[in-house]
Amino acid sequence: MTALHTAPGRVDDPGARDVASRAPRPPVPVERVVASLVLLALAVAAVWALLWIRLDVGRMLLSWSNAERFIRRIGAIQFPAPAELAYQTALTVGLVVCGTALAAVLSVPVAFLAAANTTPNPLVRTVARFVGVLARALPDVVLAMVFVLVFSLGTLPGILAIGLHSVGMISKMFADAIEQIDEGPRLAIRAAGGSRLQEYTAGVLPQVLPSWVATTLHRNDINLRGSVLLGYVGVAGLGMQMSYAFKALDYGLGLGYALVIFALCVVMEFISSGVRAAMLGASSGRPARRPRSRPQTVPSDVERALRRPWTRARTRNTGWGWAAVAVLAASVWVCDIAWGDIVTVWGRIPPVAAQFWPPDVGAYSPGRMMGAMGETIAIALAATLLSLAFSLVIGSLAARNVAPNPAVRGGARVLLVLIRAIPEIILAIVLIVITGLGAQAGTIALAFGGIGLLGKLIADSLEEVDPGPEHALTATGASRGQVYAGATVPQGLRAVIGHTFYMLDTNLRAATTLGIVGAGGVGYYLLNASQGANYGLVTTIVGMILAAVLVVESLAMWMRHTFR
Amino acid sequence: MDMNKTARPDGPVISVAGVSKRFDTTLALDDVTLAVPAGEVTVLLGLSGSGKSTLLRHVNGLEQPTAGAVEVLGQPVSSLSGRSLRTLRSRIGFIFQQFELVGSLTVLENVLTGSLASVRGPRLGLWSYSRTARLAALGHLDRVGLLGQAYQRADTLSGGQQQRVAIARALMQDPEILLADEPVASLDPDSSRQVMDLIREIGSERSLTVLCSLHQVDLAISWADRVVGLRQGRVVLDAATFEITKDEVMRIYGPAASAADIAALEAVVTEHRPGGPSRVKVGE
Repeated sequence: MTALHTAPGRVDDPGARDVASRAPRPPVPVERVVASLVLLALAVAAVWALLWIRLDVGRMLLSWSNAERFIRRIGAIQFPAPAELAYQTALTVGLVVCGTALAAVLSVPVAFLAAANTTPNPLVRTVARFVGVLARALPDVVLAMVFVLVFSLGTLPGILAIGLHSVGMISKMFADAIEQIDEGPRLAIRAAGGSRLQEYTAGVLPQVLPSWVATTLHRNDINLRGSVLLGYVGVAGLGMQMSYAFKALDYGLGLGYALVIFALCVVMEFISSGVRAAMLGASSGRPARRPRSRPQTVPSDVERALRRPWTRARTRNTGWGWAAVAVLAASVWVCDIAWGDIVTVWGRIPPVAAQFWPPDVGAYSPGRMMGAMGETIAIALAATLLSLAFSLVIGSLAARNVAPNPAVRGGARVLLVLIRAIPEIILAIVLIVITGLGAQAGTIALAFGGIGLLGKLIADSLEEVDPGPEHALTATGASRGQVYAGATVPQGLRAVIGHTFYMLDTNLRAATTLGIVGAGGVGYYLLNASQGANYGLVTTIVGMILAAVLVVESLAMWMRHTFR
Repeated sequence: MDMNKTARPDGPVISVAGVSKRFDTTLALDDVTLAVPAGEVTVLLGLSGSGKSTLLRHVNGLEQPTAGAVEVLGQPVSSLSGRSLRTLRSRIGFIFQQFELVGSLTVLENVLTGSLASVRGPRLGLWSYSRTARLAALGHLDRVGLLGQAYQRADTLSGGQQQRVAIARALMQDPEILLADEPVASLDPDSSRQVMDLIREIGSERSLTVLCSLHQVDLAISWADRVVGLRQGRVVLDAATFEITKDEVMRIYGPAASAADIAALEAVVTEHRPGGPSRVKVGE
């Protein structure tokens, strides 16, 4: 035995020192260090924002008397007449489904042009990505305000606002899915002489279809919650009825509507997660188990051999497909869309557009506008920080590979669904009543709602990490916590950073829209300007929001690139 | 050479007694009995689905037997849990077919994760490990010939290099037993040879007990001291490599093997028989 080996533990062994001298120097990755510093700066800013907003739990408890007074004023919770309730519910769901369906269809070309592996050229790709960013940056409430001006009242403003805004998210996630496909099948079709279009239809689409459906369903849930706020700017449905009731100080009826909306959101959330799980095999969290090849009976005649047998899976998928078509048809019917408006609207656009230009600050000083925008950014930062802190804990416990046992995981998952189902706007309204108008209510509402989304995203990302390294660390004798820190976290880190920036991006827009109900920030001025026909100011505010969202968006892109 | 290995028990280091393992409807292991003495290099030979991996995973407690008992280093594996199970695992190195490194971490940090069982609490980042541990990890990387790659991301390495990093990670445990589950099934022939030689060398340097699963008959016979053949979860062959006959090796394929298979095997067995035409030299 000649090759004597450096035994661990003997640091001052000459052999060990020799190894150290021959080892390469640890490199300093400049971009990563800068990116980490930016992350740190953002975290410091978020803590500062949290302090500045003066989120004071003690004081909120003191204001509990407000809540008591509020509850006394409500009296009994009332529900509208069953027929009215049924109609309003159907209208709300129909409008949201139509809007989401419109977005899903529009997203297909945008996503194909925006994905690196399907775009005809880089310039088109940049334009398509920008269209997505722009659609995402313009809150649906702002779009609805504009469309309400252009269209005669009806369901079209709501459908178009939801449809155009949702293109942002659906096209982005769909484009990401296209970029992650296995290029093999496509290459095989090209090698067999297929055209470019055939490559897409036979090689790309079958791979990304599940992701498209899943994203659309996910977006439908978000839009249903968002439809409450659309009611405040004049889009028909449960949200509008609720806003009327609150404006008439009929709190009992208002809360009745709020409860109906909450229940509707929970039901939708369960339906769509059920469909997603069935479709993606996601209920097991692992890639769907390869179906056992069963010996198939040889069909007796040619006609039967030509037809695909009706297996259980095929029957189920076809059933879901027809159900979706039926829901969409019913939605279009219940919305009673004024198709004529789509033709006549074009003439009304130029005069309305002219009112929005040039931007101005109206009766306010520019400094005041900047201050309001600063408040909105502070709310978004503080809420994101709070969401992240709670989501890391709840989300980790909701991940199968981290949770100590299935009961903990199940409990955490249910908690996340319940949190997610409460529309932020309803929470904000209740909080405003309790704590008074201001940034505290907005921050808590956003932070709480954010836990539902961010916690779920973190849990899913952690479950998706390669289990191999986790097993390897378990095999070395590492403890549960060590496996989590050593294998799960490093593999999921990039996704967590990405999701957190997505959360910040969402919160920035939500902070604006929550301002509409009086939860602080620039949203309040936005609603005033729009209702006071001060459209120059609307342009200014929308421009500021757009700029802030674009900054966050580019930061997020850079982070994803750096921490890949 | 190794002072801490003197307290080894006289009996077998790995002792599997009548172990059966059932997954849902399939019987992965069917009454397997096996004893591996200290310092022996044994190959578990079998086709995919024959139960090799499952058997290996019973040795370090990643799987629990449905029936029977597993005793490793004098300890009953299936009745251990928590701290005592982790301590036993830390004495057993495990090499995976797919290497199972954390791709986004540096090579050095991946090696360091092999020392987790000897420290308390979660670790993330190079500086969360002691200077002693970092020096030792560099030493192990030097041993597998990858010192220059210490600060590269693990996923930038070739398959063969990644498997050598995984070996360094196992060395970080200072193991007494080395288990390897198809360590070269995902590698090209050159890298395979390098990795197999390395495992053999390290095994003799540290007088490790090595249990390695393979599906290549020629590689198994030229490399191991002893071959244990598995088919459908049953032990169908257990012999020292120098006395294996063609008929015996055929048992891992079962009755379905064709005449062509038998001819091919015949060539392999004669070629690798000690004293045969070209016994492949293994670094020793």
